[in-house]
Amino acid sequence: MDEPVVHISGFRMDFADTTVIRDLSFDVRAGETFGFLGSNGSGKTTTIRALLGLYEPTAGVLHINGRPFKPEHGSRLGYLPEERGLYKKEKVMDVMTYFGRLKGMDRHSARQWSLAYLDRVDLAGKAAIQVDKLSSGEQQKVQLGVTIMNRPELLILDEPTKGFDPVNRRLLMDIIAEQKNDGATVVMVTHQMEEVERLCDRIILLKDGTSEAYGTIDEVQNKYGGRVVRIRHAGPIPPSPHYEVTLEETNYAELSITDDTDEAAILRELMDAGMVIRSFTTTKISMEDIFIRVYGEHNGSPAPAPGRVAATRGA
Amino acid sequence: MAQHNLGTVISFEFVRTVTKLRFWIGTLSVPVIMAVVFGMIFLSNTSTSSAAEAQKNAQFSISYLDASGLITPADAAAFGAVPAASSDAGIQDVRSGAVEAYFEFPAHPEATAVKAYGADRGLFENGKYAAVAQAMLARAVAVRIGSPQLSGLAAGSVQVETVTYQGSEVAGGMNSVIPPMAFLVVFYGLVVLLAGQMLNSTLEEKENRVTEMILTTLKPTTLITGKVLALFMVGLVQVAVFASPILIGGLFYRDALSIPAFEFSQLVFDPLRITVGFLILVGGFALFTTTLVAIGAVMPTAKEAGNFMGVMIALIFIPFYSVSLVISEPHSLIVQVFTYFPFSAPVTALLRNAFGSLGVLEAAVVIAILYVGAALMLRVAVRLFQYGSISYTRKVSIRTALKAGSRHAVAGPAEK
Ligand SMILES: Nc1ncnc2c1ncn2[C@@H]1O[C@H](COP(=O)(O)OP(=O)(O)O)[C@@H](O)[C@H]1O
Ligand SMILES: [Mg+2]
Repeated sequence: MDEPVVHISGFRMDFADTTVIRDLSFDVRAGETFGFLGSNGSGKTTTIRALLGLYEPTAGVLHINGRPFKPEHGSRLGYLPEERGLYKKEKVMDVMTYFGRLKGMDRHSARQWSLAYLDRVDLAGKAAIQVDKLSSGEQQKVQLGVTIMNRPELLILDEPTKGFDPVNRRLLMDIIAEQKNDGATVVMVTHQMEEVERLCDRIILLKDGTSEAYGTIDEVQNKYGGRVVRIRHAGPIPPSPHYEVTLEETNYAELSITDDTDEAAILRELMDAGMVIRSFTTTKISMEDIFIRVYGEHNGSPAPAPGRVAATRGA
Repeated sequence: MAQHNLGTVISFEFVRTVTKLRFWIGTLSVPVIMAVVFGMIFLSNTSTSSAAEAQKNAQFSISYLDASGLITPADAAAFGAVPAASSDAGIQDVRSGAVEAYFEFPAHPEATAVKAYGADRGLFENGKYAAVAQAMLARAVAVRIGSPQLSGLAAGSVQVETVTYQGSEVAGGMNSVIPPMAFLVVFYGLVVLLAGQMLNSTLEEKENRVTEMILTTLKPTTLITGKVLALFMVGLVQVAVFASPILIGGLFYRDALSIPAFEFSQLVFDPLRITVGFLILVGGFALFTTTLVAIGAVMPTAKEAGNFMGVMIALIFIPFYSVSLVISEPHSLIVQVFTYFPFSAPVTALLRNAFGSLGVLEAAVVIAILYVGAALMLRVAVRLFQYGSISYTRKVSIRTALKAGSRHAVAGPAEK
C-alpha cells in the first residue's frame, strides 16, 4: 500500500543533443493497472528501458520496489518489450523452459507450465516446433507466455496488442486481467483507448517529455471537460458559462460541461432558452477524445480520427 | 541464483549449438576430408608396393646397354634382361612392343642419369622401370663390393641417434616439441572453426531482438560468461571429433600411412611446457572469444562484423608468416613484439613454448597479459552488450557505450 511498486521522479533522458524526457515523475501502486499513454515517439519505451536499467537516465530516480532495478531481482518481473523477439532457431518449448529457468523455475515445472499455457492459447502441439516456423501472431503468444512465467508481481507490457488480431487481442486482455486478479501490478503502454477505459485504474499521458495528465481515469476525464452532453434538438443553442459547444450539426450537438453544474440545470437552461430538446444524454468524455485533443492539437495537423472536439473550431 | 543461471545459460547455449545439423556438418567435414586424404595416401601406397611385388614375380622383358661396365651379363640375367644391339634399336624395340623396357646405363652413373624407356602402364605402375633399373645397378655394385655390410653402408642406410642435453638433462628433441605443439594446433582449430560462432553469439541476440528480455532477467556478465564457457565446451567437442581420426589413423594404420615412425611412448611430456601451453591456450581462447563477442555486440549486422573478424584472424595468425624467425631468433625485436602484443601472443608464445625458447618469466608475463586482457575484454564486451545491443540496428559508438558503462558503475552502488 504505502510504498509504490514503481517510483519515478525527476526523470530526464537525453540522447546526444535531443531531450526525449524533460522531467517526469509518477508512481505505480501495488496491485493497480497503470496505463502509460503518449503519442508515438513521446518516450514511453525509453522510460521503461530506463526503469529497467537498460538505459542510463540522464537524471532522476527510477525505482522498482524502492531500489534501482537489477536483473538479479528480475525473477518476478514480466516484461514484454515493444521490440519482440525470441531465439528463432530453437524449439518453442526449449525457449520457454530456458526463460522459465532463468526466472527461477525448475525444469519440470517450467515444462508443465509451458504445456498448459500453449494449450490455452491454441498452440498445443507446437511445443517442438522451431520458433521461426510459427506465424508472427503465434510467436507473440509464445512471448507473452514467457512474459508471464513464474507468476510475475510486476508486469510491464509495451504495446502488448501490437500484432494481434481481434480474437487474440481478447485472449491477451483476458490473460492480463487474470494476472491483475492474481494480484500483479500491471504497467501497460497501449494506443487502444477502449482497453484503457476498461482495464486501467490510473493513467499518465506523456507529452513533450513530461506529464500532461496523471491520475485515475475519472480525474483525467474531468481535467478535459469531464462530462459531455449530447442533445438532439431544434433551435439555436444559447451561450453559457457552464458549457462549451464542441460539436454542432443540424439537430445534433455535443456540449462539454466546463464546471460542476449538474446536468439537470443544464437541461433547464436550454429549455428556458426556448429550445426543443428531443433527447438528452450525458456521458464522460472518451479517452479517445482526450488523446486526440492532447496530441492532435500539439501537431497542429488535423487529428487522425474525426475529432468532435476539434470540429467546433472549423464551424 | 547467479551461479544457477550461469549453468542454465551454459547448458542452453551448448545444447542448442551441438544439436544443430549445421554444427555437425561443419565439424564432421574436417575429419571426413582428412579421412579422404589419408585414404588416398593409403591407396597410392598400396598400389606402389603391390606394383613392386608384381614386377618381382611377373618379370617384364628388358633390354639394356651398359656403358659403365659395372653390370655383368649374370647380373642382367637375374632380371631377365638381355643386351640391346644399340641405343636406337633398344628404343625401337620398346616402341614396337618387342620388349617392355629398355635401360641405358651411362659410362658414369654416379654423375649421369640412367635412362629408362618403357611401355606406358599408367602413372602408378610406371615407377617400376626406374625401380628395376636402380635395382640392377645396385645389385651389380653390391656384387662388386662383395660384402653386404659394406654395400649396405655404401647405400647410405645408416641410422644415427642423437641425444642432446639441456644442462644435465637429456633434451627431448623433436619428441619434446610435438606435445606442446599440439596446443597450437588446437588453438588454431578452435579459432578457425569457432570465430564465426563467437561473433554470432551476441549478434544473434541482437538480430533476434531478444536482448531486452534477456537483460532484464540476467546479469550481462552472467550471459556473456556463459556464452564464452559454452563456446569453450563446443570447442572441446570439436577438438575431440578432429582428434579421433588422427588417433585412429595413427594407432591402427600407421604403417600404411607411412607416418614417420614414432612411438607415442617416445614423446617427451615436459610438465612445465605442457602447463604453459595449456594456460596460453585457455588464455588466448578466452581473449579471442571475449573480443569477438564484444565486436558482435557493437556491430549491427553479421556482414559488418565479418570485416572486423577478418582483421582479428589476420592478427592472430600473423606470426605464422614469420614462423622461421620465431623459431630461430626468438629474441629479435619483431618476435618480442609478437610475443607480448595480446592478439599475436598466443600463436607466438605457443610456438616458442613448443620449441623451448620461451623462458619461464616470459611465459608468466604472456599468460598474465592474456588473462588480464581476457578479463578486461569481458568487461568491455559486457558493457558494449549492455548498452549497445538494444540499438538493434544502429552501430554503437564504443565511446558512448563505455562512458555510459562507467557512469553506471558510479551510479549503481550495489554493483561490485
Ligand atoms: N537509443 C536511442 N538513441 C537515440 N535516440 C533514441 C534512442 N531510443 C529512443 N530514441 C528516441 O527517443 C524518442 C522516443 O522514443 P520511444 O521511447 O521509443 O517512443 P515511444 O515508445 O513513446 O513511441 C524517439 O524520438 C526516438 O528516436
Ligand atoms: Mg514505444
